[in-house]
Amino acid sequence: MKRAAALALLAALSACTTVAPYQRGYLARPDMALGADPGTTRALDKTFDAKEAARGGASVGGGGCGCN
Amino acid sequence: MAATDPGEDRTTRSGALGALMQAALALPILAVAARAGAAEVGEIGITTLGYKERGLMKVTEPVLWGRVQLAEVWEIEASGAVDIVTGASPELVTNLSGKPVQSVTGASINDRRTTGDVKVTRRFGDYALAASTARSNEEDYHSKSWAVEGRVDLNQRNTTLVASYGESHDHVGSSIDPTLNAPRDTREYLFGVTQILSPLDIVESTLTYSRGHGDYNDPYKLTLTFYPDQVLPTLLPDTRPDHRDMLAWLTRYRRHFPASDATLQAEYRYFHDDWGITAHTLEVGWEQRMGEHWAVRPGLRYYTQNAADFYAPVIPRPTPSVLSSDQRLGAFGGLSPSLRVTWRGGDGWKVEGTAGYVQDSASFRLGGNGSEAFATLRAVYGILTVSRAF
Repeated sequence: MKRAAALALLAALSACTTVAPYQRGYLARPDMALGADPGTTRALDKTFDAKEAARGGASVGGGGCGCN
Repeated sequence: MAATDPGEDRTTRSGALGALMQAALALPILAVAARAGAAEVGEIGITTLGYKERGLMKVTEPVLWGRVQLAEVWEIEASGAVDIVTGASPELVTNLSGKPVQSVTGASINDRRTTGDVKVTRRFGDYALAASTARSNEEDYHSKSWAVEGRVDLNQRNTTLVASYGESHDHVGSSIDPTLNAPRDTREYLFGVTQILSPLDIVESTLTYSRGHGDYNDPYKLTLTFYPDQVLPTLLPDTRPDHRDMLAWLTRYRRHFPASDATLQAEYRYFHDDWGITAHTLEVGWEQRMGEHWAVRPGLRYYTQNAADFYAPVIPRPTPSVLSSDQRLGAFGGLSPSLRVTWRGGDGWKVEGTAGYVQDSASFRLGGNGSEAFATLRAVYGILTVSRAF
């Protein structure tokens, strides 16, 4: 699965073109944001991080918790 | 851009220039939408999480958050939250019945955690520097962390590169052992790239590596094993390695379909650490616009992990130096469907509700061979956000 994701990412990057600012209307839509609002993001991270071994990936410096 | 372009969101028309900038940056760390002609822009919101496990734990967490842009070159983001945890958590794994099972000892949890964080960013044309700090305090855990970040926009802001370094300095305690005050220190490194692929899609990929050293034991968990040829059982407290190196690779993709007025949201995370755990997370969502103000987003998240090298629900002989029967370190998979409904008013107001169900089970593990003693976890959660952009 890791190899498939790497190949998909490389294929996507190699196929990209330069998009001018006036062409970025769709990219400005709220549903095109790469993350939810800060409160929802924190709530979802809390929900899953407390029960799974994997964590992180989006940022650093967030600190930890007991989460027992 | 013409006002009649199909798919253009009328609620953001007045901030089109700023919204375009946000799309162009599209960073792992969210940037505030800058509105043309405005000296100060921002957003403030309150989010509440309610989480309930069947027969076990209940969590309530209100979060107050905000972000503001000042003089078009400064951005300040901050949040504060209170975690209220009640209920019970499995503390003992024992094979008294013949096979290992989790037991709740009867002691109930009543824990409150307060957290706060702030981040300040300064833009210098196509470059930006940021510094952040966070604090978290609860009865048995104290965390202090900070991070610095640099990012650069390239190729007419079609590409954004970001690099971060952060440190956490935590102290682990215990509500049943007042003498416990052990340190845990972590250094984190991040590198990410965001790339606009076309007018309709964008991708972000982030690699995070962390090195940690200190106390990782869970002070509340025990393993009790009976042997057929031994009168007395062996009782072992949760004992983990004193270090943990982790690698997480997160890739997010968004693709808009103008004919459907909807957007595909997909993300995949690969995780690996030196405890022997490898995990995969895949989430797919479809956000469907319903008229001018409403959107509905069904989503499905799948998670799978293998067991840590030192995970064992039964203590082997001879007794190893490290062992944990905490099922969060076992082999299992999880499925979580969710539904999000969003209402956006024309004046910056947003009300958004998310309802989700979580089921973690040994049988959901990719490829099978889930941990024998894993007790299926069933939980529901709800998230409500009310926010206002100004």
